[in-house]
Amino acid sequence: MASGFRDKVAIVGMGCSRFGERWDLGADGLMVEAFGEALADAGIAREQIEAAWVGNALDDINVGNSALPAAHALRLQRVPVTRVENMCATGTEALRGAAYAVASGAVDIALAIGVEKLKDTGYGGLPLKTKGVQNDLWMPYGSAPGTFAQLAGAYAARHGIDAGDLKRAMAHVSWKSHQNGVHSPKAHMRKAVEMDKILNAPMIADPLGLFDCCGVSDGAACAIVTTPDIARGLGKANPVTIKAIQLSASNGWEMQYGEWDGAHVPNTRVAAGKAYAEAGIHDPKQSIDMTEVHDCFSITELVIMEDLGLSDEGRAPADILDGRYDRDGAIPCQLDGGLKCFGHPVGASGLRMAYEVYNQLQGRAGERQRGKVDFGLTHNLGGAPFNSVAAVAILGRLN
Amino acid sequence: MQIGITAMGAYLPALRVDRKAIAREYSWSGLGMPRGGFRALAGWDEDSLTMAVEAARGLVQTAPESLRIASTSAYYTERSQSAIALDALALPRTVRTVDFGNSRRAATTAMLDALLGTGDQIVVASEKRLTQAGSAAQLAYGDGAAAVRIGEGGGARLAGFASVTHDLVDRYASQDHPTPYVYEERFVRDVAVAELIVPAIRDACEEAGIEPGHLTHVAVAEPVGGTWAAAARQLKVAAPNHCQSVSDAAGDLGTAMPLYGLGLALAAAAVGDYVLVVGFGSGVDALVFEVTGEVEGVAGFAEVLAQGFRLTSPTRFLNLSGALSLDWGMRAEFQQKSQATVLERVGRDTIGFIGGRDSGGNVQFPKSAYPVNPALSEPEMLEDVRLADLEAKIVSITADRLNFTPDPPFDFGLVQFDNGARVLMEMVDRPEQGFAVGDRVRMRLRIKSQNRELGTRTYFWKAAPLARPTLGDA
Repeated sequence: MASGFRDKVAIVGMGCSRFGERWDLGADGLMVEAFGEALADAGIAREQIEAAWVGNALDDINVGNSALPAAHALRLQRVPVTRVENMCATGTEALRGAAYAVASGAVDIALAIGVEKLKDTGYGGLPLKTKGVQNDLWMPYGSAPGTFAQLAGAYAARHGIDAGDLKRAMAHVSWKSHQNGVHSPKAHMRKAVEMDKILNAPMIADPLGLFDCCGVSDGAACAIVTTPDIARGLGKANPVTIKAIQLSASNGWEMQYGEWDGAHVPNTRVAAGKAYAEAGIHDPKQSIDMTEVHDCFSITELVIMEDLGLSDEGRAPADILDGRYDRDGAIPCQLDGGLKCFGHPVGASGLRMAYEVYNQLQGRAGERQRGKVDFGLTHNLGGAPFNSVAAVAILGRLN
Repeated sequence: MQIGITAMGAYLPALRVDRKAIAREYSWSGLGMPRGGFRALAGWDEDSLTMAVEAARGLVQTAPESLRIASTSAYYTERSQSAIALDALALPRTVRTVDFGNSRRAATTAMLDALLGTGDQIVVASEKRLTQAGSAAQLAYGDGAAAVRIGEGGGARLAGFASVTHDLVDRYASQDHPTPYVYEERFVRDVAVAELIVPAIRDACEEAGIEPGHLTHVAVAEPVGGTWAAAARQLKVAAPNHCQSVSDAAGDLGTAMPLYGLGLALAAAAVGDYVLVVGFGSGVDALVFEVTGEVEGVAGFAEVLAQGFRLTSPTRFLNLSGALSLDWGMRAEFQQKSQATVLERVGRDTIGFIGGRDSGGNVQFPKSAYPVNPALSEPEMLEDVRLADLEAKIVSITADRLNFTPDPPFDFGLVQFDNGARVLMEMVDRPEQGFAVGDRVRMRLRIKSQNRELGTRTYFWKAAPLARPTLGDA
């Protein structure tokens, strides 16, 4: 039986570009910005990197195919560089690749970098693609808010919750994240937003209003990983280590088989269960100190709280309204403002989340610092609720 | 056994343009246009093919020997409409298909050919014709389809017929002028009545062994208003023209007009009655039927005519009729391509909405080697199950206002069939209150995607409410 790789890989350096409408930089510049910070943080030279994994979800939006754009941008020294793509879980997928390489002993130091340059599309929201494949012949291509909005109606029906009550809980999710984002210098949006404004915003996809949706932005984030021994050699006495990374992907059951209630995301539950086991966490409600989850839409975060086991089923709206996930709540969520404030450059988001947890674990989060943090969790949800990839990572300290 | 009409089917799009509301918008211009009744208006995702399939789908419990589709507005000029419809109707590939076009008379010609044959045949007529803003045709025309099944027995026997070929240019449309170019009404009416319609009806009645005055119901597709009134005076026929009801409630349906009128006429006729149908365009076809019994499906014609959603927005009307090009922004630049290789592999199952039943009894769409059923772990061949004719229930839904659609919002969600199949689908014929979880839906063939740059469309099924509201008076 696989033993997992808890504490086999340390993160010795991380970097994150400023997210936003980066009219000033292309994908290469965004990667350079994040990479430079990570190198300085790790205290290593670029030449010490032996392999790299590059996360980029939408290859035709100004980044390009393969991992070569990253190799060029960072002038990596003829080391193996691999592009990975797993929808919104792409950033965490890059981290998983680099971490596996170190854990296997294949390399000593590896780089994971995620990047997306979305604001060259010319419009808001994610771009659509078409290649004339079989799914194009029958599958409706709704927008991202359109696909996630469907969680809301199904959740309300499943738990008998009034649509207005649910909308208020969703609004609190966004309100809370905007409160937090004010303290994130690298966030795209850094203004607090009044509850009334959230509740009365124009409708994007029923019942998701404008402020129920995260923005779209440009950004890059990266991590340099190595073994705990090498980390100590680099002066990291008690390094941040990876406790778990787990993914789960749909096989069509949700959207083709008549059992799923549409009110939860099975992949998040599976990935979280495996991650808790890998990390040795038996009671996540007690053990997880903070989370950075995939709040692409307010209803998504609400459902995630249950899927991660942090709220009981049907209790997330009440827990949210009680402030359980607020900055000063029992398990704060999106201390940096989340996707809501950073926007969602798809390939970078997973590593951006890890960046916040990494800083919180080391007490380096400035105004956002949540006291002592022992375990932080990141979560990505790619695709749509009915056809998804979920990634859960848990970070902590070696000792 | 005598060949006759055994069954008929009708389809009109749900939207009905209130002519008075639109004409009022044009009042400043002084342009002449119809001001009473409704014009049936196809949705952005409907065309002559989808409406033909909708009209014919009730007639295909068994496969006919041939499927004939008549239309002057087929989207493809080099790709057979009837061949695509064959797959949409899940008919065997051994059914012969023929496309008729280039004349509003094409449907009566196709029907007459079928009646003069010996086999079991389906004739469908369907139109979605392009018109120019401000033209009388834009409000006078309507979109819709009607179908007729012909075979042994049947409740309407062909008693007599006559055809006249005459290139009377009352109007035309061409590659260089795709909207109708119309000549003076009095000229058209006078010549049509004297040279084409009256002689043909006399000849047909003579062959049927009756005087024109014995006709009890008629369905005459008029080239211009007042044509039947003038002809009826000469022929001494008092029978009502059922095509007038179609004009009033839906508009001139082109090739489908005489068939739609025939359906109404047969529904109103009694056994022993003689019913006349006339198709007009580049000549005339006059067919006299003796009603010998019941014709399945004709009762639905009036019902379809009476149901729909009133549309009063001039800009929405112009947008949907293709007369106004709106700037929908960059998202509308999205063009979906279809690949012939993919269509060849899965196109028939897709447009036929054929799912598969696994060995555990669960149905899924699309089919796959490994069933989605979690109780099964080995690859297997799934048994074909057509989902197009089944009802289903909405599991999840949203009205998406970000995604581009030519007629917002974009309603879509998961739909659950009772046999286990679950499919992510678009919704159409949006009810006033929108869609909700738990709503029962039925399937409608629609355009799935269109690529204007490459001039191609794909078709798939969308979920619609089970029933439409009854339309009030305009």
